[in-house]
Amino acid sequence: MVEKVLYTDFLTIDVGTILFTLINTLLIFLAFRFILFKRVDAIVEKRKNEVDATYTEAEKARSEANADKEKYAAAMSGAKQEAAELLSRAEKKAQKEGDAILAEARSAAQTVRERATAETERERVQARTELQGEIADLAMELAQKIMEKEINKADHERLIDEFIEEIGEEGDNA
Amino acid sequence: MQISDFFRGSPDGIDVHGPKVLLSFQVGSLTINLTETIVISWGIILAVTLLLLWLTSGMKTRNISKRQVVAEWIVQTVYDLVESSMGKRWRSFAPYIGALFTFSILGSLISMLGFRSVTADYNAPLAWALVTFVMIHATNIRTNGIGGYLKGYVDPVPVMLPINVLSELSTPVSMSLRHFGNIVSGMVITSLVYFALSVITKSVGVAFMTIGIPAVLSLYFDLFSGFMQAFVFIMLTMAYISNADGRDPEAA
Repeated sequence: MVEKVLYTDFLTIDVGTILFTLINTLLIFLAFRFILFKRVDAIVEKRKNEVDATYTEAEKARSEANADKEKYAAAMSGAKQEAAELLSRAEKKAQKEGDAILAEARSAAQTVRERATAETERERVQARTELQGEIADLAMELAQKIMEKEINKADHERLIDEFIEEIGEEGDNA
Repeated sequence: MQISDFFRGSPDGIDVHGPKVLLSFQVGSLTINLTETIVISWGIILAVTLLLLWLTSGMKTRNISKRQVVAEWIVQTVYDLVESSMGKRWRSFAPYIGALFTFSILGSLISMLGFRSVTADYNAPLAWALVTFVMIHATNIRTNGIGGYLKGYVDPVPVMLPINVLSELSTPVSMSLRHFGNIVSGMVITSLVYFALSVITKSVGVAFMTIGIPAVLSLYFDLFSGFMQAFVFIMLTMAYISNADGRDPEAA
């Protein structure tokens, strides 16, 4: 059995073929629209969001780092100031303490000097008193020897005392 | 008789005809012929759908696969083309342009696999041209309003009305005939050459010319012409619609 093959005319307008072609075009359009473009658009959008998020995070991290840096710089300058203050306070304290020690030393030295002066004065007075006694004895002996017991001892002592008294006053005044 | 007989040239002479009718049925008063064109189109749709599903499967945002690169490249290229010729506001038009281009070029190139070109049936480019026609006028009405649209026909003087109407009607006719004519002429020329070569082969007894020459011809008529006509069709579609839009494509 030979199959009869039917052909359309070479150039003809066939409404059925046009309708089917329109439907086919719609189908291929739907495939492009809802498979290729939809999926690719979605993935591109997703990638864009990811990139945006990454940039935002990086920006945030950078600003945080900057804030930290400023904080540390502020802390550092504060510490420096504190150290300087501490140093100057220590210096002042040391100065004050040194002054106090110096003053104390001075006053101690003054005390020692005053005591030494007083001691010297006391010794001088004592020495003079002793010397007075010795000179009187000496003068008595001298006079006895010179006058050979012509004058009694009591008169002589009185005369000599007066004489020494006069000398002493003159010595004190001098 | 084989489909490829047409290309090889029948021994009885050259028979130039339209697509084969595989099934014919009546819907009311309309006779629907299920032709080669329609069935091959279904094959193309199936292949394209499967290809797109494969290209877009397992897409990631990082470390993307080669096929994802291809998928993103296609989308980006179509977006760029549409935006450069129609402006950013027509961006959503890109899927249709991509689909139309793919359908057209595959419909032409399918002849390289030995099938009849879908676009060698006038009804296919005519259907696409009618879609473009409707879009042009819908866009024009949307932009200018129905009054402005109708006023365009009597511009600059009412005498121009028949010329303007004819000019509008000639757009889909010229678009569809250009596409059909280029593809079908290639098909006819190729079949003529095959016929001539087969006659020479029969008389000489050696098939010394059936190798080489048909391949070069096929390269031009199938590959180059098929690509050119698909490209011209989408560029014209975008240009006409953008023109009907009237707004500056550069403005956002």
